[in-house]
Amino acid sequence: MTEEIQKKMQKELEIFNGVQKEYHKAVALKQQLDSQLNENKAVKEELLLLKKDAEVYKLIGPVLVKQDFEEAKQNVAKRMEYINKEIKRTDGHISALENKQEAIQENLNKLKSDLGSLKVSA
Amino acid sequence: MASVSTAPAPGMHQIDLSKLNLHQLAQLKQQMDQELNVFQDSLQTLKMAQSKFVESGESVEKITPATKGKTVLVPLTGSMYVPGTIADTDNVIIDIGTGYFAQKDIDGAKDYFKRKVQFVTEQMEKIQVLGIEKSKVREAICMMMEMKMQAQAQAQKAPTS
Repeated sequence: MTEEIQKKMQKELEIFNGVQKEYHKAVALKQQLDSQLNENKAVKEELLLLKKDAEVYKLIGPVLVKQDFEEAKQNVAKRMEYINKEIKRTDGHISALENKQEAIQENLNKLKSDLGSLKVSA
Repeated sequence: MASVSTAPAPGMHQIDLSKLNLHQLAQLKQQMDQELNVFQDSLQTLKMAQSKFVESGESVEKITPATKGKTVLVPLTGSMYVPGTIADTDNVIIDIGTGYFAQKDIDGAKDYFKRKVQFVTEQMEKIQVLGIEKSKVREAICMMMEMKMQAQAQAQKAPTS
């Protein structure tokens, strides 16, 4: 009986570690997206401050390519939209993983107390 | 990134430190240490960014109509330079982030770097305030830990004596 519970616990723990790993990955991704969003926000503000006839270039590899001003603005807006969507998606992912973690934790606690009561009765 | 990490802190619920046991306190202290480290790191990065902007701002100051036609050495690599002449002293091209560059006149460029320096400085100040708050909390935790440890030591001593 004790062995069985211990085996179960080991299995749960393994799952838990996996979920935790995934969770950390998701959080790191969210942080990266956040910083990207912030950078894009700064660029957008900067573009709005420019004069109508300002020249805008885009760095492609090692060369600067001249871009249409309006197009550049639209591009940045589009990218921000995309990043926002990605952030929402990772947020959902993160909360799902949090729930999973909690459930496993509960399971583990239950198994632990089962083991404890078994030891006491033994 | 700096402004993002500040968000979750104010919403946290209050906890009475004296109600926690030693293990929990130690865990909390570790968390505080980690957060303080993050603050230190971002402060360092911000400081680097700030000095870069200040440096660029100073470089822009050097470009005046009088420098037109003067020769400069243009770095092709870190260790190889070719001579060139300054043709345009009215405009510079500035990296505004995410691969975009914008042409600005000298005054615009000066203004840009001034704004950036100001922005970074503001962020640094924000983090500094947060850091001070966090270290205060950490100190409180450390004090509480010491008190608990002393109480524990005394409790252990009492029955034997």
